Amino acid sequence: MGRLIDALPLDYTDSVVLVGAVLIGVSSGVLGAFAVFRERSLVGDAIAHATLPGVCLAFLVAGAKDAATLAVGAGLAGLTAAALIVAVERTGRIRPDAAIGVVLSAFFSLGVVLLTYLGNYGSANQAGLDNYLFGQAAGLLERDLEAMGALCLASLAAVALAFRPLKATLFDRRFAGSVGLPVAALELAMTALLVVAIMIGVRTVGAILMVAMLIVPAVVARQLTDRLSTLLPVAGLVGAAVGAVGALLSESAALPTGPVIVVTGFAAALAAILLAPGRGVAWRARQALRDRRRAATEGVLLDLETALHAGPPPTAEELALGGGRPAREVRRALRDLDRAGMLERDGDRIRLSESGAAAAHALLARRRLWAAWLEHGGRLRLPDAREPDPSDLRGSLGDAAADELERLAAAGGEW
Amino acid sequence: MSEPAVRRPALEIRRLTASYRSRPALWDVDATFPAGALAAVVGPNGAGKSTLLKAVVGLVRADAGQVLIEGRPARAALDRVAYVPQRDAVDWDFPIRVAEVVEMGRYRSVGWLRRVPRADRAIVAEALERVGMTPFARRQIGELSGGQRQRVFIARALAQRAPLMLLDEPFAGVDARTEASLLDLLAELAREGTTIVVVHHDIGVVRARFEWALLLNVRTIACGPVAAALAPDALRRAYGIGGEAVEEAMPWAG
Amino acid sequence: MSDATAIVLTGGLVATACGLLGPFLVLRRQALLSDAVSHAVLPGIVLVFVCFGSRAPLAVIAGAAAFAVVCVLGIEALRASGLVKADAAIALVFPVLFAIGVIGVGSFASGAHIDLDSTIYGEIAFTPFRTWEPAGVEVPRSIPLLGAVALADAALLAALWKELKVSTFDPEFARVNGFSPRLVSRLLLIAVAVTAVTAFESVGAILVVTLLIVPAATAYLLTERLPALIALTLAIGWLCAVAGHATATALDASIAGAMGLVAGCCFALALLLSPRHGLLAVAAARARRRAALRRRLGAPAAGRR
Repeated sequence: MGRLIDALPLDYTDSVVLVGAVLIGVSSGVLGAFAVFRERSLVGDAIAHATLPGVCLAFLVAGAKDAATLAVGAGLAGLTAAALIVAVERTGRIRPDAAIGVVLSAFFSLGVVLLTYLGNYGSANQAGLDNYLFGQAAGLLERDLEAMGALCLASLAAVALAFRPLKATLFDRRFAGSVGLPVAALELAMTALLVVAIMIGVRTVGAILMVAMLIVPAVVARQLTDRLSTLLPVAGLVGAAVGAVGALLSESAALPTGPVIVVTGFAAALAAILLAPGRGVAWRARQALRDRRRAATEGVLLDLETALHAGPPPTAEELALGGGRPAREVRRALRDLDRAGMLERDGDRIRLSESGAAAAHALLARRRLWAAWLEHGGRLRLPDAREPDPSDLRGSLGDAAADELERLAAAGGEW
Repeated sequence: MSEPAVRRPALEIRRLTASYRSRPALWDVDATFPAGALAAVVGPNGAGKSTLLKAVVGLVRADAGQVLIEGRPARAALDRVAYVPQRDAVDWDFPIRVAEVVEMGRYRSVGWLRRVPRADRAIVAEALERVGMTPFARRQIGELSGGQRQRVFIARALAQRAPLMLLDEPFAGVDARTEASLLDLLAELAREGTTIVVVHHDIGVVRARFEWALLLNVRTIACGPVAAALAPDALRRAYGIGGEAVEEAMPWAG
Repeated sequence: MSDATAIVLTGGLVATACGLLGPFLVLRRQALLSDAVSHAVLPGIVLVFVCFGSRAPLAVIAGAAAFAVVCVLGIEALRASGLVKADAAIALVFPVLFAIGVIGVGSFASGAHIDLDSTIYGEIAFTPFRTWEPAGVEVPRSIPLLGAVALADAALLAALWKELKVSTFDPEFARVNGFSPRLVSRLLLIAVAVTAVTAFESVGAILVVTLLIVPAATAYLLTERLPALIALTLAIGWLCAVAGHATATALDASIAGAMGLVAGCCFALALLLSPRHGLLAVAAARARRRAALRRRLGAPAAGRR
């Protein structure tokens, strides 16, 4: 570890904090992912707060203040809290969120009582509680890093070994149980891993912010990939990156480390949610807008075609009235059609150009095909379980199926 | 049946188009429901029946088309509709009594911040009596069976005193006796002038008990008196199966 | 007024204000939103301090309420994107707001009166020493402040009673009938934020969150009626205030912590002993059913007469 720290181009304390942040990022990223996918993100919050009475009790019982004892106390308290949450939920009356809230508050109150009982009021206790709640990156020692590194390595190894059973339990608990996997033990293991991650990070980041470290990397990774085997490493990498960038930023700006890491992480999560290709909010909004515009354009095109068959070329207002669409949408659709060269204007009356008429007929043919699907689709024999895409039936079902539909429709007098 | 002079249909749907997750759920749907009719909306799964009711009350946004209630745009006439949805979003663990649930039917007429006046208690009691739930008025809603719960929700709709009632699969998960008794109630209400529109999955029951039907499969297949709307030819077009098999296939096609 | 009375009264008033809102949070499965909102308001408090240089109560409450709304809107927006589940959304939003607040405190307000201790950890023991003197009578200022908040909460509850009922029980029905569930939800959460911020200064964030959730959850185990739920929550809250103070005095430990601990013990007792939902009752009922079944199976001819 010492060599790693010396190798970094920063001064000693900063290097220690950086390595610590990366370790925390990796461990909480990977291990926190299990909590996220089980929708137990806030259990991490409860466990983080529950470590306080554990630490106090460890001190009370063992009389020692060394890191190992306190860590054991924290771990046991965390596990107890997790177990109690499950037990409270099992009664059936108290829902998960209330169960978490009760355990969180009760344990933390116990912690505060113990802390003050142990030392009575005084700035020392205030400071102790502050460090516990808000984290204290500066207090990290090389020795701590070694312990964190060892824990991190051990837990990641455990995940790698038990990967397939863990994946099965995550995806479908009941099925996993039915094929003989020890589901209860696996879930306990996932909780234990969560506790380990919290133990690694809570001293540095603080009890309040710890939960963000557990959640952010998994959320980012989820936007980038679908497969658990890729997701976990990506979450680890994202956690490490967020930790490193956050630590560096906090050092250069002389701001507290934990909060800066959390802000960095949130920025990463937000970016992922907004911009993820194919899934992101921005992408979907653009897609939805495009879909709506296309639907309006097609609708107006057909309305125009119908109107032209029925009487004289209509004006834009008459078109809007007849179709039941908002006028603004009709005007925009007409602009789009105009730009595509599908319209001919005659004063304020509108006609279809040649290409417009052709487009309208093609659209009508597609719609008739869809109507034929609705009516005769049950009789169609498809080679596999493909599903129809209303805007392109021929493409989605294949030429054979589309031709067959046309034949059925013609036989039924549709065409 | 006497022919009333120009009588506005209770519910009129014109060229209604709505999508659900970028798939067309309703497409150019036209339908009319005359006042005082006992009407059903039928069609295969995915036909958009629930979506249609939701579009009427504004829970789903329409892409195009109009909904008119008693000749006025639906948005402005929501006080004339009582909507009984499928019971998904309800919190059955909520500590509330049957009478209080029915009382919710009066909330709209009372508006924000004000209390439901004592006078309305008579309306609540009457609604409970009509569905046969008076002895259960003080029970917790969570303790009731599926059929009993449905009676309570219909009582709530009754308490709204609206001329149009929309019910989305009200008999799903309900025992046969309750279904029969509720159907009798709905028929009685229709005779008294309330327009009832029910999404129903059982074509046999619709044929036997209802007067008016909308056969829907994303588009309108047929809309009118039951005998005509549910003619075998129309059913074939709606359910898309081979002609002879239609009647036998009905039970599972819904 | 003796110190002890002042402290117990303060705790009781916090329990009252929280006990009026808590049951609805628990019923709406929004218990942890109270935790989130309590942490998310920190940047609001800092901002007010930075802009106005003081901790004038009304400004602080307004600033905090604003950030509570930001928190709730942010959580809703993340959830609505469909890409983040509800619990993950909460776990993402409140820490970043809190982190911003901590950074703000460190950068702008350190050394000034807005120390984190009193905002988060709180110190109810100091209540007797923070006094006002209206008309020459010395009164711990927490009491009229919290009293006012408790009254406001009661007024909100009275005004929105049916709206809260309908939007919690059947949100779709509420929406169709003109009672926007989202508006009701936001009003409730703003009330929670205002209550929490006012109470922070006296008792600290953790006790506030505890008193919002635990007494209500305890009462939920003991009754099926909404009015009784509220009444029981208030009663349990006051019990925590009185017994907590006594315990803290005996142990010479944190009063706020002791109050929270008493709340936890009440919950544990209710979980065990509740006549309908308690662990013992459920186990006893199961044992009775099994015994009845065994009896029936063991004497099959008895049914035929």
